[in-house]
Amino acid sequence: MTVQELYANIGGDYASAKKILMMDKMISRFIVKLLDDKSCGRLLTAGQTMDPVGLFEGAHAMKGVCANLGLMDLSHDASDIAEEFRPGNARRMSDDEVAKRLADIQARYDKTIAGIRAFSEAQG
Amino acid sequence: MVFSDELKTRRLILVVDDQEINRDLMEMFLSDEYDLLFAENGRQAMELICAHQEMLSIVLLDLMMPVMDGFQVLAAVHEDEALRRIPIIVLTAERSAELRALQMGAADFITKPFDMHEIILARVARIIELSEGRTIIQTAERDALTGLYTGNFFFQYAERFARYHPDCEMDAVVLNIERFHLVNDLYGRDFGDRVLALIGAAIQEQTSETGAIGCRMEADQFCIYIRHSEDYQELLNALQSRLAPVSGNTRIRLRTGVCAKLEGVHDLRGQFDKAKIACDMLRGNYSRNLMYYDMELHHKEVFSEGLVNDIHRAVEQRQFQVYFQPKYAIQGTRPVLRSAEALIRWKHPEYGMISPGAFVPLFEQNGLIQTVDEFVWAETARQIAAWKAEYGFTLPVSVNLSRVDLYDPLLEEKLLDLVERNGLTTHELKLEVTESAYTDDPEQLVARVERLRNLGFEIEMDDFGSGYSSLNMISTLPIDVLKMDMKFIQNVKKGNEKDFRLIELILDIADYLHVPVVAEGVETAEQCEMLRQAGCSLVQGYYFSRPVPPAEFALLIAKEQNERKLEGST
Repeated sequence: MTVQELYANIGGDYASAKKILMMDKMISRFIVKLLDDKSCGRLLTAGQTMDPVGLFEGAHAMKGVCANLGLMDLSHDASDIAEEFRPGNARRMSDDEVAKRLADIQARYDKTIAGIRAFSEAQG
Repeated sequence: MVFSDELKTRRLILVVDDQEINRDLMEMFLSDEYDLLFAENGRQAMELICAHQEMLSIVLLDLMMPVMDGFQVLAAVHEDEALRRIPIIVLTAERSAELRALQMGAADFITKPFDMHEIILARVARIIELSEGRTIIQTAERDALTGLYTGNFFFQYAERFARYHPDCEMDAVVLNIERFHLVNDLYGRDFGDRVLALIGAAIQEQTSETGAIGCRMEADQFCIYIRHSEDYQELLNALQSRLAPVSGNTRIRLRTGVCAKLEGVHDLRGQFDKAKIACDMLRGNYSRNLMYYDMELHHKEVFSEGLVNDIHRAVEQRQFQVYFQPKYAIQGTRPVLRSAEALIRWKHPEYGMISPGAFVPLFEQNGLIQTVDEFVWAETARQIAAWKAEYGFTLPVSVNLSRVDLYDPLLEEKLLDLVERNGLTTHELKLEVTESAYTDDPEQLVARVERLRNLGFEIEMDDFGSGYSSLNMISTLPIDVLKMDMKFIQNVKKGNEKDFRLIELILDIADYLHVPVVAEGVETAEQCEMLRQAGCSLVQGYYFSRPVPPAEFALLIAKEQNERKLEGST
């Protein structure tokens, strides 16, 4: 599996990743780091109790990490949550809607992680 | 900024981000060109910033972090004067945070997702360059010891002020410490530096109150560019009073020259030079500590400048003339012409006969005295040889060595050459060294004088008693004759009993050192008799003869020759 195929499979923006990381070798080296990244876990854990601080910090971290890896959809999803819970911002979503968004993020994230894992195993 | 290869070292960068992937990305971007430190939160970052503050070239700082966020780091760094110089680039995805970060002192920002790595490298390099440039400017701008501006920046700011405020009446003030080299010599350089730092702080305080600016121009010379004032005594007193804590055993005295109502931006430096001239005029004047540059000083300056410009022509056209003043031995049955001192005179085509007092100190200041001295030595050696040939006996003549001569590496060579060319021996040309020269650099001077003595030259210590010789120093100095300063004799003339005792004391010292004394400035028979009774060997002064041209002096030699013939025939 090529890096480009991986990005196609997981719905990532290969061009964005290439712009930042320059080479496929670097993209493949960095994308597998997401397997160990805790930001999405922190976001989803905070979502279980609707902890606004945890939700903001987790979403904010996830937004940045995903953007740098060219995972723009995940980054945008996380950004919406971060703005929802940014200190000083008025809430615009109900908790149910937030829960639904988080479920969507989890599904997209799981799919991404599964794809990366398969890619990683294929790389040996 | 261009660095030579030797100076080009890898800069150290601290990357602060709570996300490992982001830190890894920065490592990938930067590690080829920079050394890197990493922190996961603000607290870790502050620890590393404090530990590496001297070496850190830049901090790349994420804003949203646990424990201590980036804004708190920015605030902590900004509050600390030592850390403030370290530039910080914030890493942020929030446009709204950029303004706040910049307002809190951030130098720039890098957006997330990150730009192409070339852009990040370029931004980092640019901020480091700006920061290092600013540091270099700050270092060059301020004098490290006093915190005042350095000369070049002082004039830049003063000229800028003058250009933008042409209607403002400004004054140039120059301050100096009286005999500062002695303060350093007596109490050490650390103490001298403390004095300079105190003056710097006092000037800083005074100038910040009045909107003026100050600088340390060099050594102990300070300049102030200030709005015109009719009276500077108050300012001077305020500055002087700040020196009270260090004015214990020694009185540290400031003197001040003022050039008032400067003429705009044109030749600002020249106008400060005028204030310095006024300041220098106060040297040795203990009754005044403030002088203004005025027309009288201006005329003196023009006169002095003219003399400096004329000196080489004066040598070429033989405007300088050597006069001779006899020294008589007075302890025998009659005064015996024993030797003479060669003295310079200048017959200027425009000013007529100029007193040595008008040009010798001037030429001593700028080193031109060497030209005059060498002229005198040459003329004197030639004249000694001529008289020796004419009268059949040698009349030794002493010439003056100025400070600058004593530091001339070719001094011995020049003197020996003169002696040889005129068929003389080194005993026939005596050398006078003023007492105060010995205090400049005693060890070097003593070694120099010792070398001259070893060659056979006799050394006369001139103006003894006018300087600061310690008795301890006198006993170790290589001298053959003490020339008592003429002030001792002049004071006795005024009926000062204590001065007569001082004369006796000097004669005792000379006796102890086994060297003869020449009393200078003897004008009357009473003075001569008084000195004879006190045991003084030789006298020089108007009583016997004023300094006279060679032809006139030849009459004194002829007279001496006759006396000797008469004594020989009886």
